[in-house]
Amino acid sequence: MRINVLQNVKKYGLYTLLLSATLLSSCGDDEAPEPENEVEVITDVTLIFTNTADAADVVTARANDPDGEGVQELQILDEITLTSGVTYTLTYTITNALDPNDPEDIGAEILGEDDEHQFFFSFTTDAFTNPTGGGNIGATGDINYNDMDENSNPVGLNTTWTTGAAQMDAFFRVRLQHQPGVKTATTGSGDGDTDFDLNFVLNIE
Amino acid sequence: MKNSKENINKKMKKCLLFSLLILWTCCSVLTTQAMQLSDSCTYVIKGSILDAETKKPVPFVTVTIKNSQRGILADENGKFLLDGLCEGEYTLLCSSVGYKQVTHHHDPHHDEPVIYMASAASQLESVVVEGEEIVGDMRSLSLDKIDRSQLATKTTGSLASVVGDIQGVTFTSVGNNVQLPVIHGLYGNRILIINNGVKHGFQNWGVDHGPEIDIASADNISVLKGAAGVRFGPEALGGAVLVNGNPLKLSNEMYGGVASGYQTNGRGYHTNVHLGAGHEKFSYHVGANYQRIGDRHTPDYSLTNTGMEERSANVGFRYHLPQWDFKVYYSYVNQDLGLLRASVAESGDLFARSLSSERPLIIRDFSYDINEPRQDATHHLVNLAVDWHSDMGDFVLLLSKQINQRQEFDVRRNADLPIIDLDLNTTDTRLEWYHPEFGGFEGTIGLQYFSQNNDNNPGTGTTPFIPNYNTHRVSAFIIESIEKSSNTYEFGLRLDHEFNSVRGRETNQAIFRNDYSFTNITASLGLVRELAPNWLLRTNLGSAWRTPNMAELYSFGQHGFRTQFGLWRYNTNENGELRTDMVLTEDDDVAEPEKGYKWINELTHQKNGHSLTLTAYTHFIDNYIFDRPVAVIGTIRGPMPVFIYDQVDALFAGADLTYSRRFTQKVKGTFGASYLWSQDIENDQPLINQPPVNFNAELSWETPNFLGLETSRIKFQASYTLQQFQAPRTVTPEQLISGEVDITPESEIFDFKDAPEGYFLGHVQWQWGLGRLGGQVEVRNMFNTRYRDYLNQMRYFADELGRNFLFTINYKF
Repeated sequence: MRINVLQNVKKYGLYTLLLSATLLSSCGDDEAPEPENEVEVITDVTLIFTNTADAADVVTARANDPDGEGVQELQILDEITLTSGVTYTLTYTITNALDPNDPEDIGAEILGEDDEHQFFFSFTTDAFTNPTGGGNIGATGDINYNDMDENSNPVGLNTTWTTGAAQMDAFFRVRLQHQPGVKTATTGSGDGDTDFDLNFVLNIE
Repeated sequence: MKNSKENINKKMKKCLLFSLLILWTCCSVLTTQAMQLSDSCTYVIKGSILDAETKKPVPFVTVTIKNSQRGILADENGKFLLDGLCEGEYTLLCSSVGYKQVTHHHDPHHDEPVIYMASAASQLESVVVEGEEIVGDMRSLSLDKIDRSQLATKTTGSLASVVGDIQGVTFTSVGNNVQLPVIHGLYGNRILIINNGVKHGFQNWGVDHGPEIDIASADNISVLKGAAGVRFGPEALGGAVLVNGNPLKLSNEMYGGVASGYQTNGRGYHTNVHLGAGHEKFSYHVGANYQRIGDRHTPDYSLTNTGMEERSANVGFRYHLPQWDFKVYYSYVNQDLGLLRASVAESGDLFARSLSSERPLIIRDFSYDINEPRQDATHHLVNLAVDWHSDMGDFVLLLSKQINQRQEFDVRRNADLPIIDLDLNTTDTRLEWYHPEFGGFEGTIGLQYFSQNNDNNPGTGTTPFIPNYNTHRVSAFIIESIEKSSNTYEFGLRLDHEFNSVRGRETNQAIFRNDYSFTNITASLGLVRELAPNWLLRTNLGSAWRTPNMAELYSFGQHGFRTQFGLWRYNTNENGELRTDMVLTEDDDVAEPEKGYKWINELTHQKNGHSLTLTAYTHFIDNYIFDRPVAVIGTIRGPMPVFIYDQVDALFAGADLTYSRRFTQKVKGTFGASYLWSQDIENDQPLINQPPVNFNAELSWETPNFLGLETSRIKFQASYTLQQFQAPRTVTPEQLISGEVDITPESEIFDFKDAPEGYFLGHVQWQWGLGRLGGQVEVRNMFNTRYRDYLNQMRYFADELGRNFLFTINYKF
């Protein structure tokens, strides 16, 4: 009897072990990762220049990032063509449209965190009669900021521009800086992280 | 989100419980087998006794059988013979004046024991070796071993930095906390790390993750320098590192120890304890370790956010029956590792400046705090080994399960969210049969089933870097050897069939799926030949086919200071520009299995205190996979250097030399050199991140009775590392950002920065022992040399560590 048991153990012991090994490892699944809301991507930026005297006179210029976190960056799609001697307000739509069914309004997020953000500008010298000069990227030129954060520092989601004399192939550069815990009345375009930095061709007709 | 995580946890627990139940059942069946008593009393124990240091016979050692009247004096050649015994198991006690006593539990299933006696004044311990330990793949492969006494002096180092002291082995790193071994120029997925007999299941991609193994828990470490893939699988294409825990010896009186230490660089401290005992039928061992280091510093500045914290524990239990041996081992490691803060820049200008600057751009005061970027990983390993000594040879069954949880945090707007959050479950089952000699052939036949399940935990706020996947691999192997006069011939063959199921997300969160499989063949041919007395030649020709791993195929996005794209995540458009807007599959023919062929020769000579080892090798790898810089892109998180995986045909050739000489009984010197030449032979250009030429020398001097201490040894070490003369060309970030240099995936390999200059390093170490007390004082980089290591990714941003004083003290009981 005893010998039988022994033989059986010898005979089946290994099979038992192999079987248990197989069972041990048969715990799988085939689920895909949960969808993630890509929180740090801007895929579309549109600059909206609205004539202060005629709300129907709107000029837009777009930039688009086709692949989100991929290697391609925001690419400029349009030139900005304004009319000489006209005053415009500049506003934006900034979105993350990686998921076309559920685009995300980053502009609203920036407004919500306006004490951490500021827009900076650079342009061909004297392209505008107001503000004059060449802007405040790496410089200290004036910009007509129409909005302030809770600390009374400028934001730049809304700015005013009066065009100067006609010229072609000038430039207009917009840079959004993210300055969490950094932004003060004296911080400039080099402080914090750059969210985007777009250099458009500016034509004034 | 939380619910699904809980579900996964529940599922895992259920799985684990079920598995344990099965294990328990089969164990209890096996243990009921009774002992078989033999009637014949003609059993003989033969053995030999050698000096642990000189390897010369120790004459006239007293060998007694514990709890009996039997005993014998070994002869002048250190041989002993105990006859007329009944077949069974015996505990032998060996003692001789001037040597440390050793106890050995002997059973009839093992060969003649070789007992290495350590002199009472040396820091070695007496050990017993039974037969030739088959630690590796094949005997014709070059094998280096780091034993317990060598490890004891390095408990705070990483696994990679410890094996990096071996000739031909170095390590590649991302800062001081994340380090991976490099063997003959290969690392990452080509070096298999075997922890207690099983493949360490961790996120082994590129150089960015170190293995979660605490060397304080290791008893010894072996390094195989050839294609060791036959036994361990194709990932051992470049070699293998075997970490072995406590051997759980039987008939071993209770032992234990406490060790603690402090280092000045990083103000680090550590404490570890261990305890164990071996009885006639069972033995156990437990150990625990805690280590904390703050910001390290170079000769000139603090390396902000380079601290680390590590906790580990391990338990081993062995139960022994006449023909059976059961070992259960559990280990736990938790690591929180900081990465240099200055490696992440916040604007394009700053990134360019951080590469050209002499000093990192962010330097803060010393702190123990670990902030982003950081890696937090927990690793569990449960392992059961069953050894059955049957009449038909030895059967060994290994069952293991590993759970690896990793979270990584990067500098970004949502820094509190992990950017990588992965659970990797690995099971590995191996059955090996060490068959009896058959027609002159001795060997092993094995079967293996390996599976891995990787899951992303939700809540990272970014497209997963690595998809979810399941890998199943079934393998079979055979290794045989035959001895003919002074030659041992061997061959090995392995077949792997691997099936992968992948589920990931594109940036627009659309799901992609892919199922694919690979079949790989690994083969090895070897010869060990005694050329002349004291001259031994080992030669081995090995091939290994390795399937590209998940990271090489699918990695996507930010990881640490860089952005990386796998072979199936990027493509070139009609203008030759890099694009990442689609996911490729095997139908696109861009990823081929890596096929490596390595020929390694090792010549060893030992005579009269001289010892020489010369290793020469060539390694051709068809479709060698590596990552390389390709661009700098702007992201909302700041500018990122972009790396892609690429495949080329590569050739490696090199040699390692070690020569040591014992000048007197107390003074020993060692000289070593490593040379590696490597080339992308497809495009005839140098590869990137290959180890530079290195020379090193060591002089040790034993001075017992110094200051009244029983043992004392002082050791000087010096090394010179040359500048990597085979580095690729340099293209700076400024040149990339300005568009001055146009780079496409087809362009010649480049690096962001020149290879660092050569450097000289000096270290000194003093070890002492007094009774149960021992200790060590060490100065690393004693000349406070400023240098950068070509194989450290942080070389772009900062220097290596400055002078470091390390103090350790230990007490054995």
